[in-house]
Amino acid sequence: MFLGRVTGSVWSTVKWPAAKGLKLLLVRPYRLADLPPTVAGAAAGGESLDDLVVCADVLDAGPGDDVLVAFGHAARVAIAGALAPGQTPDAPIDAAVVAVVDRVELEGERGPGR
Amino acid sequence: MIRGTIIGSVWATRQAAGLAGRKLVLVAARDAEGRASGRVVVAIDTLDAGAGDDVTVAFGSGARNVLAPGPDNRALLCDAAVAAIVEGAG
Repeated sequence: MFLGRVTGSVWSTVKWPAAKGLKLLLVRPYRLADLPPTVAGAAAGGESLDDLVVCADVLDAGPGDDVLVAFGHAARVAIAGALAPGQTPDAPIDAAVVAVVDRVELEGERGPGR
Repeated sequence: MIRGTIIGSVWATRQAAGLAGRKLVLVAARDAEGRASGRVVVAIDTLDAGAGDDVTVAFGSGARNVLAPGPDNRALLCDAAVAAIVEGAG
């Protein structure tokens, strides 16, 4: 999984039938340099060079939301519960939003340790 | 698997049913020299790891095996899990 920010969406008319009706979002992964400098290593800088990830969304996330995205089989498990009757969980999907993030607690914000 | 350092935790109420009750940690991956590479991943933690801990994170079906032994664990929503808290590496 990774933490990312929704930057937009993608739509298409020509697609695999099993992917019909699935909303697709564009998500930019957070890099260490995007986090506050109080986090070890974050101040080292470096640009965010990761590719945008296209992921299925059944949690109604939107642009500006921070989300967790899962890959692989876990992505298909996440969308399986929201499929319409007759739809199979074998859509050509390998990434999906699994949570809309409320809060991220970083080291240094509440002191080190547990 | 990757090796990394736990830098925080993540909370969400709007989430897929399969994530309910899971503790989610942010892990800064390490590069070949042991420094932070810049990549950050989120993993399910069952080992009670805390901020600053040096851990290994398993992905894919290996991650599911951390939560429950296979092969009948494909219904689990898990693609990354803390597999070990590292004490030493050379």
